[in-house]
Amino acid sequence: MIDLGSFSSLQLDAIKEVGNIGTGNAATALSKLLSCMINMDVPKVELVSIYELAEHYGDPGREVAAVFVRSLGGFGCSLIFVQNEEDAQLMVDLLLKQQFGDYLPDNLPQEMRDSALTEVGNIILSSFLNAINLLIGTQHQISVPAVAHDMLSSILDVVASIFGQMGEMALMINTQLRVEGAGLANISGSIILVPDPDALEMLLRKLKVM
Amino acid sequence: MAEASYVLGMADLLVAHAPAKLVTLGLGSCIGLVVFDTTAKVAGMAHIMLPDSRGAIGNEKVGKFADTAVPALIDEMLKKGAVKSHIKAKIAGGAQMFALPGASADFLTVGARNVKETTARLARLGIALVASDTGGNKGRTVEFSTSDWKLKIKTLGKGITEI
Repeated sequence: MIDLGSFSSLQLDAIKEVGNIGTGNAATALSKLLSCMINMDVPKVELVSIYELAEHYGDPGREVAAVFVRSLGGFGCSLIFVQNEEDAQLMVDLLLKQQFGDYLPDNLPQEMRDSALTEVGNIILSSFLNAINLLIGTQHQISVPAVAHDMLSSILDVVASIFGQMGEMALMINTQLRVEGAGLANISGSIILVPDPDALEMLLRKLKVM
Repeated sequence: MAEASYVLGMADLLVAHAPAKLVTLGLGSCIGLVVFDTTAKVAGMAHIMLPDSRGAIGNEKVGKFADTAVPALIDEMLKKGAVKSHIKAKIAGGAQMFALPGASADFLTVGARNVKETTARLARLGIALVASDTGGNKGRTVEFSTSDWKLKIKTLGKGITEI
């Protein structure tokens, strides 16, 4: 098993580039879906103590909406799309307005809003993963998405339990997308890719940095 | 004397004399284990992340795993003056945040395994588990106060319950 503390800067750069390619594809897909401009940050590769995951991303008690998928193909990983609850609801409005027009009925059932949110998350995450699978030549297969509305630290327990069994650090590729456009509130969200610990070595070999 | 307030992070473990308030934020699959002795007026809490320490790298926080956290917490209670036969326990947490039909991934069901292992370890030491609020798919913030020996559980959208 790889020692997470001993990555070379070349290896970290290679993983970051993977994040870049995934983010680009995810941003394009989201832009098409919402017919909006999407801005993306340069992805970060982060090694974080599993004891401080939530603090690393802000207030542990913050209310977030999260969509989660598992890669079932050649590159084992988990992907989470996390947004502040208000941002998630604004994004859902944007998507539903495409369907219902500018004046959304305000009594839309929660299930419909959740289903829209899950679909946006699913498209973002599966585009992200698809680009990576194409790059490293692994088969692309993805689970159905799951959605949760909860406290940030409860959501990130998932990451802690993936890495907790083998150590005290977690490795994540983390990137931000922002919806931009005239008259639009700023909506942002983070894609977090959490590779399975035993998939990291394969990833580095495929990238020819190991 | 004013109530001292302690906020426990992941894998933390702490025992305090009354009056004290022990808090842990946003438990997902993790467990908030509380033990207390109302006669000796001591209470302790552990924020447990995973069921068992087999395969661990060693030198890790004892509070991280159920199999190491439970005995360590009881030891610490005894050191602070608690009497073993008087110690009672309450637990909260162990949710499954995401359910994925068709994807078998051990880490998604870690909450249930945390509950099972914590309960078994308490039983093995003969500690009475007097109340629990576990499972489901919602995160919990928990707060234990020695003023009434109650565990207050806050869940988003569901408000506060007391056990």
